[in-house]
Amino acid sequence: MWAGEQNYLSSLLFQLESEHLITGEKLVVQKKICMIGDFSVGKTSLVGRFVRQSFSEKYLTTVGVKIDTKLVKLSDECEVKLILWDIAGNDALTTTTVSYLRGAAGFLLIVDGTRLPTWHNALNLHKAVTAQVGKKPFVMLLNKNDLQEQWEIDQTLIDEKTQKGWKLLSTSAKTGLNVEKAFHSLATQMVTK
Amino acid sequence: MATIPLSVVKYIRSVWMAEMILAYLQIDEQGNLVKWGGHPRHYGLSNLTAGQPVVEQVNFLEGMLTIPHSHVLEFVRVGEGRCAHVHIIPLDNGTYVLMLDATGEHDRQQKMQQQLNELSILTYRQSQLLQELEAARQALREEKDQLGQASELKSQFITTLSHELRTPLTSIVGYAKLLDEAKQADSRSANYLTTVKNNANHLLLLIDNVLEQTTLEAGQTVLQSSRCDIKQLLTDLKSLFFPNAKEKKLVFNIEMQPNLPTQVTIDELRFRQVLINLITNAFKFTSSGFVRVIVGWQAERLEFSVADSGSGVSPEAQPKIFTAFHREHTNNATPGTGLGLAISYHLVTLMGGNLDVESSPGHGSVFYGFIQAPITDSLSLHDGESVLPHTSATILIADDSIDVRYLMEIYLEEDGYAVVGASDGAEAIILANQVKPDLILMDMQMPVTNGYEAVQQLRADNFTKPIIALSGSSLAHDCNYALEVGCDQYMVKPVSPDNLLKTIKQVLNKTNH
Repeated sequence: MWAGEQNYLSSLLFQLESEHLITGEKLVVQKKICMIGDFSVGKTSLVGRFVRQSFSEKYLTTVGVKIDTKLVKLSDECEVKLILWDIAGNDALTTTTVSYLRGAAGFLLIVDGTRLPTWHNALNLHKAVTAQVGKKPFVMLLNKNDLQEQWEIDQTLIDEKTQKGWKLLSTSAKTGLNVEKAFHSLATQMVTK
Repeated sequence: MATIPLSVVKYIRSVWMAEMILAYLQIDEQGNLVKWGGHPRHYGLSNLTAGQPVVEQVNFLEGMLTIPHSHVLEFVRVGEGRCAHVHIIPLDNGTYVLMLDATGEHDRQQKMQQQLNELSILTYRQSQLLQELEAARQALREEKDQLGQASELKSQFITTLSHELRTPLTSIVGYAKLLDEAKQADSRSANYLTTVKNNANHLLLLIDNVLEQTTLEAGQTVLQSSRCDIKQLLTDLKSLFFPNAKEKKLVFNIEMQPNLPTQVTIDELRFRQVLINLITNAFKFTSSGFVRVIVGWQAERLEFSVADSGSGVSPEAQPKIFTAFHREHTNNATPGTGLGLAISYHLVTLMGGNLDVESSPGHGSVFYGFIQAPITDSLSLHDGESVLPHTSATILIADDSIDVRYLMEIYLEEDGYAVVGASDGAEAIILANQVKPDLILMDMQMPVTNGYEAVQQLRADNFTKPIIALSGSSLAHDCNYALEVGCDQYMVKPVSPDNLLKTIKQVLNKTNH
C-alpha cells in the first residue's frame, strides 16, 4: 500500500462501517474487476498466482473470458470479494471486450515489461475503456519483472505516468512479486472511492 | 406452407437442448434467484438457492442485471467449468439467463489464436535480435573507423617524425663525410668525425628499425622481388663484417653450399637486412670464438644459418626472442632496441619462410631459417648496370632544407652536373619552366607547395623530363603515391652520394634511349 493510503483507508472504513455496521458485523463487499492488456502479457498467470498461488511456464492463450473469485481482507472489519474477469488479450478494444466491461468497479491494466509495444497498447486500451465505462479505479502492472535482461520499459515512461497520479507496480507472476499488493491496492481504491 | 408437427418440434427442441447443454436461470426484479434448470453444474454453477441474491451465487452476473436489452457474453468460463455463451434477457418482471455450451468452438478458436499469438511473439523477438545485431555491427564499424583513424594518425606521425629526423641527419652524415675527406691529415679531428658519423648512422639505423617495425605491424610492407646475385650479396656481407671480426678477433666465415644458384628471385634488400641483423646480433653477443654463416638452396628455398660461440639464449627467453623491443635483462649493457630479431622474423615470414633458434646458455646460438627463392629463368640485360657517360646535364634540386640542397649541389657538381636550387614546390615549378632542367630532385615534404603537388603541376604543364622523389618516408603507400603523381623514381633519405649519382645516371640513361 502506498504512503498515506493506510490512514485514509482507516478513516473511510470507519465511515463505511458506521454506515453499514450497526451491530459490529464484518463488512463484505463484492466488486467486479477486469484484467485488461495485450495478449501474452501475463493476465491469466497473475490471476493464477493470486487465486491459486501457482504459476506455469506454458503459454495458453485465453479465448473469451475466465472468471475467478478471491476474498481480499482489507482490515479485520472489511473484506472485498473480487470477481476477477480475465479477458482475452488484445491490442485494441473490441465489442466483445466492451460487453465484458459492464458493471466493472475497477480494472488492472497489464503490460509485458519485455515488450515495449504492449505499453503503448495498454495506454490506448486505458483511453478506450475510460471512454466506454467512465473513469474507474485502476492499477497499471508492469509484469515479467523477473526477466530484467529483456526489459524494454524505460524509467522515464514510468515516471511520466507516476507524475500524472497513475499507480504503477512492477510485478512478476512467476516469483509473486507485488501480486498480492496489486490486487489489494485496487480493492482499496474501489472500496474507498 | 407445411407446418412441422408439434411432436417433431418437441423432438428438435430436446435434441437441440441436449447438444447445447442448456442451463437457464430465472431472476426476479429484486435480483433474487427464482428457479433454474438444464445443466448448471456443467458450467461450474452448483449449490444454487432460490430466494437468495443471484449475484452472490452466480458471481459473473455482478453488474449485469441492469441492462435494458438482451446481452450476449461469449466464451465465458467460470472456475473449472466448461465454456458457455451467456445470453442475458431482461423481461418486464425480471431477467432470464441462458447458458449454451461453446466448449468445442472455444477449443478450435484457442488453437488458432494460440498459433497466431506465438507467431507474433516470435516475429517480435526476431526483429529485436536483428536490431541488436545491427547495433552491434554499427558499433563494430565505428570502432573499426576509429582504429583506422588512429592507425592513420600513427602512420602520419611516424612519417612526419621520420622526415623531421632524417632530414637533419642527412646533413650531419653528409657534412661529416665531407669534413672527413677534407681533414684526412688531422687524425684527432678524424676520430671526432668518425664518432659523429657513427652516432649519426646509429640514429639513422634506429629510425629505420622503428619505422620498419611499424610498417611490418601495419601490414604495409611490400616486397620488391627482383633478380639477385646471391653469391655477390654474400661476398659483400663478408667484406662488410670483416672489420668487426678483425676488431673482436673472431673467426668469421660465410660458407656458400655447392648447390647455391647464381641468380634467385627475392627481395634482395630485405634478405640482406635479415642477414645483417642476424650477423650483427651474433657479433654483439660473441666475445671469443667464431661467427659462421652457411647459405644453401634446396627445392626453391634459400636455407641459411648464423651460428656463434657467444653467450647463448636461455630456454625461458627463446619464445620471446623474436618479440619487438624484447631484450634479455642480462644484456642491458649491450646497446640496441630489441628490434633487429623481430624485424628479421617478420621479414622472413613475409618472404614465405621461417626463422628459429637453437641455443643454450654458454654454448652459443644457431639462428636458422629459410625463404622462398625460385631460380631466375633468364638474365635480363636491362638492369641499368651499363651506363652511358652523361653530357653536362642540368639538375634542379627542390628541398626546403638549405643544408641538404647545398650538400647535394656539392655531390652533383663534383660529378659534372649543372645545378639549380629551389626552396619550395612553387619555386620549383617556376624554375623548371624557366631553366628547363634535364632532371629534378624533388623533396616530397616542403612548405607552400609540397613535392606531390609540384610534380602533379609540372606534369600538367607538360614537363616530361625525369623527376626523382626524395622522401623521409619509406612507407609503400608514400612511394606508390609519388610514382602515381608522376615521379620516375623514389629514394628514401638520407641518400648516399654513390646511390644518388648511380640512380641519376640510370634515370638519365633511360631517358636518353
